[in-house]
Amino acid sequence: MKTAANSAEKMREHLLELREVSFSYVMRGGEKLQVFDKLSLSVSYAEFLGIAGPSGCGKSTLLRIMAGLLKPESGEVLFRGKPLKEPTPRISMMFQSPALFPWYTVLENVMLALIHEKELSREEKEERVKVFLDMVGLMGFETAYPAELSGGMRQRVALARALVAQPDLLLMDEPFSNLDPLTAISLRREIETLWRNQSLPPSSVVMVSHDIEELVELSDRIIVLTKRPVKIAGIIEIEMERPRSRRSKEFYEYVDEVYTLLS
Amino acid sequence: MITALELLEILAALGYSWARMSMSLLLSILFSLCVGILAGVNRLAEKIIIPILDILQSIPILSFFPLALYIFISVHPIIGPEIAAIFLIFTSQVWNIAFGVYEAIKLLPHEILEAARSLGLGPLRRLRDLYIPAAFPKIAANIPASWANGLYFLVACEIITIGESKWKLFGIGTISTEFMLSGKIPQFWISLIAVVAAVIFMNLALFIPLMRLSERYKFEAYAAEVPRVWIERATKPIGELFGRIFADKGLPGGEPVSRFLSYLASIIKRNKVIVSALAIAALISSSAYYLNSIDVSDYLEVVISGFGRLGLIDPLLMIGFSLLRVVSAIIIGLAWVIPVSILIYERRRLEKILVPTFQVLASLPATLLIPLIVKLVLDAKLPLETGAITLILLGTQWYLFFFISSAMRSIPREEEEVCKLFRIRGFKKFRHLYLPRILPSLVMGCLVAMGGGWNTLVVAERIVLDHFIWQVENPGIGKALSEAVTSGDLGLLVAATIWMVGFIAVLNKLFWRRLYQKATEIVGVVT
Ligand SMILES: Nc1ncnc2c1ncn2[C@@H]1O[C@H](COP(=O)(O)OP(=O)(O)OP(=O)(O)O)[C@@H](O)[C@H]1O
Ligand SMILES: [Mg+2]
Repeated sequence: MKTAANSAEKMREHLLELREVSFSYVMRGGEKLQVFDKLSLSVSYAEFLGIAGPSGCGKSTLLRIMAGLLKPESGEVLFRGKPLKEPTPRISMMFQSPALFPWYTVLENVMLALIHEKELSREEKEERVKVFLDMVGLMGFETAYPAELSGGMRQRVALARALVAQPDLLLMDEPFSNLDPLTAISLRREIETLWRNQSLPPSSVVMVSHDIEELVELSDRIIVLTKRPVKIAGIIEIEMERPRSRRSKEFYEYVDEVYTLLS
Repeated sequence: MITALELLEILAALGYSWARMSMSLLLSILFSLCVGILAGVNRLAEKIIIPILDILQSIPILSFFPLALYIFISVHPIIGPEIAAIFLIFTSQVWNIAFGVYEAIKLLPHEILEAARSLGLGPLRRLRDLYIPAAFPKIAANIPASWANGLYFLVACEIITIGESKWKLFGIGTISTEFMLSGKIPQFWISLIAVVAAVIFMNLALFIPLMRLSERYKFEAYAAEVPRVWIERATKPIGELFGRIFADKGLPGGEPVSRFLSYLASIIKRNKVIVSALAIAALISSSAYYLNSIDVSDYLEVVISGFGRLGLIDPLLMIGFSLLRVVSAIIIGLAWVIPVSILIYERRRLEKILVPTFQVLASLPATLLIPLIVKLVLDAKLPLETGAITLILLGTQWYLFFFISSAMRSIPREEEEVCKLFRIRGFKKFRHLYLPRILPSLVMGCLVAMGGGWNTLVVAERIVLDHFIWQVENPGIGKALSEAVTSGDLGLLVAATIWMVGFIAVLNKLFWRRLYQKATEIVGVVT
């Protein structure tokens, strides 16, 4: 009872919070492209947040701001209540493309994420990397180079790299969009299990996706964004038992709701 | 003081030199497109073309000059020297562009090639829609360096003394040297300033806009922004004026030129047989004329005696010393180029100031500064070798800079962000990201710079300003070549050139090709 109350309490606390964040890109000619104008949103502890929006609206940009890779022009990004000044190992990100270094092997690529773990020896690091490679189903490919892997396998290396430093918050930019359906299903399972397991990181996940059904299957909440300048078109809380069946009527009602907000 | 007449003379000389340069640049671009694309597309062609380019680019053009002059003058006594000059400037401008085109085609992403294939684009369409646009950024990026290189040798090939005979072509190199030697120092400086102004103008009016235009053809999702220069902003009204003049004409020169060209094309098309017959007749008669004017067996004898006089040990010693000088210049160049390229890449604001400045600096001919460098080295009582290495450095460093900084600019945004995410900074970032990413271009840049270095040896190791001669004490192949040119010793000249070219060919085969192979393998680009 007590733990349930505790976690309910935690749900309301914010792991990451964006307060009135504005952001624009400076284009070639010098003119500005305003992406966000005073956008506020938050990610709670232990939450799986889905983000949907039209193509090119700024979802990847939003994740980059959450990761501390881009600085907002105005407004604040708070991580655990403190301003986020630069990327931290507590937040990790999977990019839209795998972004692996082609000159390193699978093992070396994932090891890069542990570069600052001074207290671990090389052997310990390798052990840990192997655990995560095993988890994403890439055992035995440690010495392969990215060019020798399929698109789905590269994406899985990127996932292992994002998880190996055991972050609290995992940001994913269309992680399953290049995968075949079967691999996507197993990876979705993997991520959901990891996230639901309280003792294992990450505590919270933010996932951007064009696949509405995938969002409904995994998210506690889905934020639907509008075209630029981005506003929140709506937030949908999904209260369904997990694991969720894609065939139920309820599931489709949620999917329809997201589509309505998108159009 | 300077008279109006002299001023006019300077301007006219500048015009002549610029016309030579533009002709040869156009030739260089056409040649590079043909050869670079062919080598990039066809494996067999690659195997033949690339080694030949390697050798050709390392032949010191000044050792070529007497021969070329000889040949072209025998074709026509007045136009001949002019064509020889254009040909020689061409040989100093073309190689980096050709290698750039080759590299651009070679590095085309597989997906794009496959897409082109699956779209069923024929060879011509592929050329127009894929290869030329892909090569365009590399060409645009290499033009300033080529221009600079051309200027470097323009100065040297407008005046040439071979034994007793002396050729002079009217141009900026000739008149600035004449001013210097006749003690007209203000006039010398004004001609220098005129060159600087013309170079800046070329950059603003042509090179930078071209590069900006070429950004659009890059394959990276978000091409780096070509910085706007303050000078450019200041001269924007002029630019707009030009823009209005040339607007709706498509090309500078626009309508009349294109009408003339299509007229020409239609004539040629209609009279195909006659035109080709004329061309063949001209070719045969001119080569017959040329072959008549020299005796082949005599020529062979002279060359063989040249080899005999050189011996075996001396050329090796000369080449060894020259190699040391070139390598030192490249190391010094890399020592500033790598940190500065990284700095520019990381601080975008610096890019806006430094890159245009470097572009202008790179386009200034170091040969015009030779008198100045000699004076500085002599005054500071530095070893003469420093002067030689400085001159080689001035002739090579920009290759390194442009190759490396353009490689830095094409680092994918997400790789950069991976480093940020894992807080990989400083030397670690250099090791894990920058070094592997720039490696192929680093090797290519060194290769091209080395070629440029061999070329500059002839002016760097021994400087001849009419009666004033200044040379390094240790042996050097450039010194030997230069001596052979002044004494008109054709045999020695050819023998020394062949020694040097042979050595360069061996070096390329045994060292650079393998290194480049390794470098591209490491970065995982399939060659
Ligand atoms: N580095 C950049 N410089 C300039 N503009 C950019 C840059 N990155 C993105 N943009 C622009 O910002 C807008 C938002 O881009 P973003 O990549 O965040 O969109 P997205 O929602 O992730 O799109 P998609 O669904 O296609 O991935 C787009 O209009 C894009 O053109
Ligand atoms: Mg995106």
